[in-house]
Amino acid sequence: MFTPATQNELETDVQVSPEGHARVVLRNQLDAQTAATCWSDLERKLSVANIKTLEVDASGLCQCDGAGLALLQYLNMGKMTPSAKISVVGLKDEMEKLFREFTPEDYEAFRPRGSTRKKSLPEEIGHAVAQAGADLREQVVFFGDILASLPRTLPNRQRMRWPEVRHIFESAGANAVPIVSLISLLVGLIIAFESAQPLAQFGAQIFVANMIGLVMVRELGPLLAAILLAGRSGSAFAAEIGTMKVNEELNALETLGLDPIPFLVVQRITAGILLTPLLTCYATFMGVLGGVLVMLGLGFPLKLIFHQLTSAVHLHDVVLAAAKGVVFGAIVSGVGCLRGLQTKQGPSAVGISTTRAVVTSILLIVIADAVFSVVFFMLTR
Amino acid sequence: MNHPSENIIAVRNLKIGYDEKVILQNVNFQVRRGEVFMILGGSGSGKSTLLKNLIGLYTPYEGEVWIAGGNMVAAKDDERLLLFRKFGVMYQGGALFGSMTVLENVLLPLDEFTDLPGPVKELVALAKLKQVGLGAAAQKMPSELSGGMQKRAAIARAMALDPCILFLDEPSAGLDPVTSAGLDHLIKELAHQCGITFVIVTHELASIYSIADRIIMLDCQTRTVIAEGKPAALRESADDPWVRRFFNREPDPIELAQPR
Repeated sequence: MFTPATQNELETDVQVSPEGHARVVLRNQLDAQTAATCWSDLERKLSVANIKTLEVDASGLCQCDGAGLALLQYLNMGKMTPSAKISVVGLKDEMEKLFREFTPEDYEAFRPRGSTRKKSLPEEIGHAVAQAGADLREQVVFFGDILASLPRTLPNRQRMRWPEVRHIFESAGANAVPIVSLISLLVGLIIAFESAQPLAQFGAQIFVANMIGLVMVRELGPLLAAILLAGRSGSAFAAEIGTMKVNEELNALETLGLDPIPFLVVQRITAGILLTPLLTCYATFMGVLGGVLVMLGLGFPLKLIFHQLTSAVHLHDVVLAAAKGVVFGAIVSGVGCLRGLQTKQGPSAVGISTTRAVVTSILLIVIADAVFSVVFFMLTR
Repeated sequence: MNHPSENIIAVRNLKIGYDEKVILQNVNFQVRRGEVFMILGGSGSGKSTLLKNLIGLYTPYEGEVWIAGGNMVAAKDDERLLLFRKFGVMYQGGALFGSMTVLENVLLPLDEFTDLPGPVKELVALAKLKQVGLGAAAQKMPSELSGGMQKRAAIARAMALDPCILFLDEPSAGLDPVTSAGLDHLIKELAHQCGITFVIVTHELASIYSIADRIIMLDCQTRTVIAEGKPAALRESADDPWVRRFFNREPDPIELAQPR
């Protein structure tokens, strides 16, 4: 049977004379619980008059823990009676020893100081720009390092470690198929459904098929695949390599004479480059399927939908989508690995790297997509 | 009361393990109020698992763990919370919260479990940090501290609510002899000055000889306690040869005889 310890309630007696002499008598048990309850009482009674002397009589205390001693110390430091001469008397020997061990000077020396000076806005902007510049430089150097290590790594079967590539291909690609299927199908379905109604006003509902074909093949298929890859696998790469860095596994690699780029990065980038075009094609197919389902629901025959699709989408669109897949795959896996390698020490470091991997990947994907659009426009006009 | 008054911890017929595997069984011992009690044993003998069962992180298969008058095994949620307030734990790596300063780490239990006003809580936390010799490091982040300092800070956090028992998991692991001896001195002082009972899992022979009042020795072959008593007495006259070898730091002759 569980029985909580019996407690002696704290007795507090505060006497303040008209001349400004105060006496606080404490009896029984002064601990975290009782100190909290007597605090407001003491503060109220001791703040009313201009107290010249304060005597705290602790001879009746049978037990006093760290919180109780802190309350006595607080009174002794004159925090409640700033202009009074204070004495704490009657503490039992062992309590007295602990009480005297922590002095007001210690409190002043150890307590937190005010926060450090806040940076001005121009300083903050300058700092951010300098950091962005350094980050860009690091990214360029990193991609240079990868390109330099490719000719040494790719032809060497042992160094390339193809089973590792196959494993990454499976975890980042094959395992992503269900989520890519669902999201692409729903996006295709939603776009077709939302555009069917306004187009119906012009009797142009059949062109939903053309639109869904072009949108999915040229833009949304590659974007969806890349963004999902960034969220699933780019972050995983950053977390894996970041954890290795925190656990000093990367240091172990270096002292074994192994460069982390050919050992860890090249495999991930190769897998990313190989699997993203396939994932892009699959996402595109599922998106178009979603659109086709809506068209079928609207009563259009499958043959007509197929005819509209093939008339709108050309081979060069599919090649463009695959090319985007290759570039996006390189971006996502490269950025994931870079952020992992940049992981600093501390418990939040891996989390920060993961977030940075996803954010930078998506930013670079959108920038690369814009460049693709401009180049494609110039090539086909 | 179901336990003798001088015993602050009583373990009865404990059978523990995980994944349906029994690690230790028939474990019986008592820890007296104010003593430094050590749990020893070879690697894989279940020392840390036993500690985790004592502090309620794992549930034993059988048996009772009485801590300061409450049965940790049978206690309901609210009773367990009250029991948790009676002891503090220092984990092997310190387990300080990396996103908080050392002072904030010590303040955390005070913020959560007391209604003390802010300045008094700060005084309590700073006094605890001074007690472990880390007053000047109050504003540092745990990552800025050495291994020994992190362990000291973890002890300060474990002591924040003035528990009557402190459980320490391998306090000397990975520390240099000077820092390790400093930590031993601190434990001795806290036990003597504040009357705290220490239950320590360790391998460190120097610590065992200098601060342990009593020890128990666990064995991975028999999966139970094979020796109990004062370390000096066990070194001289333990029945079990493995216990004598442990205390005299001698290798296993059978292992030595095996061809390399």
